[in-house]
Order: sequence, then C-alpha cells, then structure tokens
Amino acid sequence: MGDALPTTTHIIEFPYTRTLGPVYSTFLTGLRDGRILGIRNRDGSILCPPTEWDPWTGDALDTSPAAFTEVGPGGTVETWAWVERPTRKHPFDHPFAFALIKLDGASTSLLHVVDAGAIDRMSTGMRVTARWKDDRIGHITDLAFVPEAS
Amino acid sequence: MSDKTASDKTANSKPAPGDTAPDPDAPVTGMDYFMQLEYHELLCPVVRRYAEKLRAGKLIGHRCPKCGLVYAPPRGYCPIDVVETTDADEVELANRGVVTNFTIVTPVQYYGQTKTEPFAKVSIQLDEPGGTLTLQDVLDCPVDDVRVGMRVEAVWAPPEERDTSQIGNRSWGSAEGCIKGWRPTGEPDLPADQFLQAAF
Repeated sequence: MGDALPTTTHIIEFPYTRTLGPVYSTFLTGLRDGRILGIRNRDGSILCPPTEWDPWTGDALDTSPAAFTEVGPGGTVETWAWVERPTRKHPFDHPFAFALIKLDGASTSLLHVVDAGAIDRMSTGMRVTARWKDDRIGHITDLAFVPEAS
Repeated sequence: MSDKTASDKTANSKPAPGDTAPDPDAPVTGMDYFMQLEYHELLCPVVRRYAEKLRAGKLIGHRCPKCGLVYAPPRGYCPIDVVETTDADEVELANRGVVTNFTIVTPVQYYGQTKTEPFAKVSIQLDEPGGTLTLQDVLDCPVDDVRVGMRVEAVWAPPEERDTSQIGNRSWGSAEGCIKGWRPTGEPDLPADQFLQAAF
C-alpha cells in the first residue's frame, strides 16, 4: 500500500433520514411508482417539483392527494450545464448534464440530469423524456432524462 | 477506515442496520441523506517515516532531547518542552509492554458499526526505551480478563498485509494496519498501582 503515501484520505459521514412532509412524500411516492407529480398552485399553474406553498405569495397550498396531477414524462430543457468530469457523488460515472427541465403540463421547471452521452447532443430547447430505473425506491435518482428519440 | 462509504451504495438503496424491509406499496415518508466530508491529507515527514518503518516491521518513537520522554508515534515535537524532535531523536521501540489503562466498548449498532461484541481498547506502556501506545486491540484474551498490569506483546500482520494508508497526521498511537493487536505474554502481571498515574 506504499502507493497510498504520502497522502491519506479520511471520510466522515453522517447518515440522516429526512422526514419528507406531505408534498415531497407524495412526489417521491409517485417517482417510486413511475409517475412524476406536480401540484396545483392557487393561480391554476402546476408546480413541479411540487411545493407546500405558493412560491409567489407564500400562501399554503392544498396538499391533499387531489391537488396533485401527473406531468411529463416528456419535457423541454430550459438551461443546462455539462459535467465533463463527474465526481463519485454524481449520478453517473460518465459525462452528463444538469438541466432545468420544464415537463409537459408543468408551469415550473425541475432541476435534474440529462444522460445525453455527449455535449453536442445538448441544446437549450431540446426535448427530453424520463428514463426510469427498474428498481425504484422513492428517490430523486429513480429516474434520469434522456434526449427524446427524434 | 476504508475509502468506501455508506453513501456509495447510492442513497437509500440498501436499508440501514435495524431497518425492516420497506413495504413496496406504503407511502415514501423519509429520505436517507448522507452528509459527507472527505479530507485528503498530505502526510508530514515524521508520520511518513513512522509509516515506512511500520511497514518494515519496526515501531519507532522520538525521545525528547530535553525531558527524555518517548513519544510513540513520533510527533516531531515535545509539547511539554516545546522543542522540535527530529530523526536524530529517533528510537526503536519495544514489541512488548504492559497494559496501563483500558476501556471496554459495548458496540451500539448505529449505521456503519461493524463490531457486534464488546471489545477492549487499551493503552500500552512499552518496555525500554519506553513510549505509550493508545487505543490498541487485545488479541487472544476475553474482554473480562483485560486488566491493568497485564504483560502483552505485539502481533504483527505479515509484511504483505501491512497497510499504512489510513495513518494520518493526527492518528496518534495508530498502528492498526500493521500490528493486528497485542496478546498476553503469560508473564506475571506487574503491580497495577504503579500505572494508575501513568499518562505517557
């Protein structure tokens, strides 16, 4: 193990479990079940990711199951950033894009990843669609986006 | 400590110890979240030399040129006299010593805990030229038999298994990648009284 010198690596890790509350619980339960859910805002717009409050007025929203509606799985890239050298905390071990994606039926955009393969396949305004994992657990990484087949 | 961490299993793909298998139809009400700090440390020359010697099967320390106290592992200074210590103050340490203090740890099965049974961590005052190693493991001895005054000797890992990759600048007393632990020699105990005040 002489190669490990003269540096050493120490990792300190704190595992937390966060309580999700009514909205993220519904959202992530939806992801586990293969559906992307938005919530109906007071002005009639659909927020995805869903929130507990109207982002413009701060008023509490109806968070009952009836307030949610399915959006996507297709959407449009509004802006993006290419990650050329992923770290081990990133969702892929190959280059990918972080992107703001306005899903079909939603009024706001979701920050997520696009597994495009190459930077020249990325453009603002491009169409993407959800690619689901087979083994879903109710986590934001249950899906990734890929360029829509043209 | 290994380079692999719990979160390498990508978030909550595996239940933590003590978790029951999730009901696939129940609402998702919690999310595992790993806060992680990763440090890359450049080793100071004194620690580097200590690690090299460990891999060669030798324990070294520094003897303070002023007070004569032996530091194991070497620190490069004597914090009491505030003087630098160097290779010129290096001494090779004994592979035998005496238990001067111990703690029995009963492991709580928190996330990441790999031990399940109570275990001892002991301080060992080494034979001449001296030096005290802390937080050492005891081998071939039930935890109930661990006692102050017990004579012990080092059990080295075979050369090909010695690993100093986890020795950092602050891991005083750390030899665990090279010395598996310390086992009783079977010699008569030394009187516990004489170690009650021992710190170094």
